[in-house]
Amino acid sequence: MDIQQSLIERIHRGDRGGANALLDAWASEHGYERLFTEVLDPTLQLIGEEWNSSETFTLAQVYVAAKVTEDVLCKIAVRRKSSSEGQPAKGPAVIGNIEEDFHALGRRMVGTFLRAEGWIVHDLGNDVPAALLVDKAQEVGARVIGVSAMMMTTARNIKRVREEIDRRGLAGRLQLAVGGAVFRVCPGLVEEVGGDGTAANALGAAELFKRLWEESVRKEAGS
Amino acid sequence: MNSMERIQATLAGKPLDRRAFAPVLGLYGARLTDCPLEKYYTDPEAYAAGQSAVRETFRPDVLCAPLAFASIGAAFGGELVFLDTESPNLRRPAVQSVEQWDSLVPPDPEAHPQLLFFRDAIRRMAAEHGGEVPIAMVIPIPVDIPAVVMGMESWLETVLFDPAGAQHVMERIIPFYVRLVNGFFAAGATFVVMPSGFASPAIVTREIVTNFTRLILAQTLTQLCGPVVLHNVGAPMLAHLDLLTGLPSVVGFIVDQQDDLARARRVVGPESVLFGGLDCTNLGPMTAVEVEDRCRAILEERRRDARFVLGTSGPDVAWDTPPENIHAMRKAAESFGRIEV
Repeated sequence: MDIQQSLIERIHRGDRGGANALLDAWASEHGYERLFTEVLDPTLQLIGEEWNSSETFTLAQVYVAAKVTEDVLCKIAVRRKSSSEGQPAKGPAVIGNIEEDFHALGRRMVGTFLRAEGWIVHDLGNDVPAALLVDKAQEVGARVIGVSAMMMTTARNIKRVREEIDRRGLAGRLQLAVGGAVFRVCPGLVEEVGGDGTAANALGAAELFKRLWEESVRKEAGS
Repeated sequence: MNSMERIQATLAGKPLDRRAFAPVLGLYGARLTDCPLEKYYTDPEAYAAGQSAVRETFRPDVLCAPLAFASIGAAFGGELVFLDTESPNLRRPAVQSVEQWDSLVPPDPEAHPQLLFFRDAIRRMAAEHGGEVPIAMVIPIPVDIPAVVMGMESWLETVLFDPAGAQHVMERIIPFYVRLVNGFFAAGATFVVMPSGFASPAIVTREIVTNFTRLILAQTLTQLCGPVVLHNVGAPMLAHLDLLTGLPSVVGFIVDQQDDLARARRVVGPESVLFGGLDCTNLGPMTAVEVEDRCRAILEERRRDARFVLGTSGPDVAWDTPPENIHAMRKAAESFGRIEV
């Protein structure tokens, strides 16, 4: 069985320790930098695709994947500190749960998977007012804000972020990514709240943010 | 038939004058009575008045006692936040880690104001409607209670990576839970609906359900003094439904809009009541005609199912759902006329 399938199998049964042991063994031969690009990243993509298409993965298993990812990122960070090496960072990006939303788990997993892809993530936490999200994006030079909501009523508060972006003349330059359970069950909600895009799950966030970042660059260059 | 007779006949699989109709309209009572939600979710009289308005307006066959899970977390010491158009939420959980459970004293269901609110609301509702309309109390399964005490992430981490810690937490929860729920029955709840997050295929694996959730449910439900209906928690539950059959006290299942009702019936068997219908989240954006058409299609598909109830899946019917959409559900149920066995 190849390393990706072995890793998926361990994540599938919630075996965080086994997954780490497998990855450590591979990294001892090939190095942690290659571990991420050649093993972990493609495995996460496979899990994301499968989670999206067949629902064979549960939230618990994706949470295990997030924890294994965090474990690997910690090991990579320790080695980078000692060797002063590293790949160029992506971003920055700003994420948060919209005002009156307190369901942190999805947002935190998005943060983990973005960091895994090299994004510098500014996580503002739960219950974040629209103006604060846009303030932070302007302060750090982010081109993408990711806003999460679990319920229909709180998802509609995301419209305030759209309004704030437009009011400050940042439309196009500052892209709005939206996500959360309610977006999976309500077709048209992304457009209703003024989102520029969404992902089917936390594992798709990095691809979405990359696309929106490129869209921002393209729109700014075209204006 | 009045609603109580209709639901009892459904439970018994007997003929009905019409299909029972049971949307979750806990929150909607506040809208009908123009009641601020902080008052609605703390004042039993205000809540009961809201449910009287629900009955008068829509004539549902089940009334819902307060659906406010965060208030249970607040009773353990979490910080509650009241919102304008939905039930309260938790700004901060009571504890952050499994170790803190050692010093955590569960609240007394017979003395804590937030828990007494539930019981007093049920008592008032039962006094006014109890003989005629069943009163359903909605409370998460015991395995979900730690998520409102320590936060979903901490609890999920405990269940996944610290099984002994999870078991320890449940040993603290179960006696509290049994007292709380039996208090609901004593106050007049006809049955208890239990959203089952840690049994959901969207959240946990079959192994977790088999080796943890089901064992806790079996241990807890056998101590309860009334019937229980397990709920989909807003996601398809069919893939795990077989793991939830045969549990003590369970008389029915509220499946998700996306679940195949015929398959669900085959899994739960002919004796259980099956609730099915549109998801609360999608009910608002639809037109009344669409709601009625969709409900009629569901009812047609379940025409021969004596123990089927037209309900809603997912959470509470949303605040901004047009009342005509709820009327459309009832109209669909009424239009089908008698249900013969």
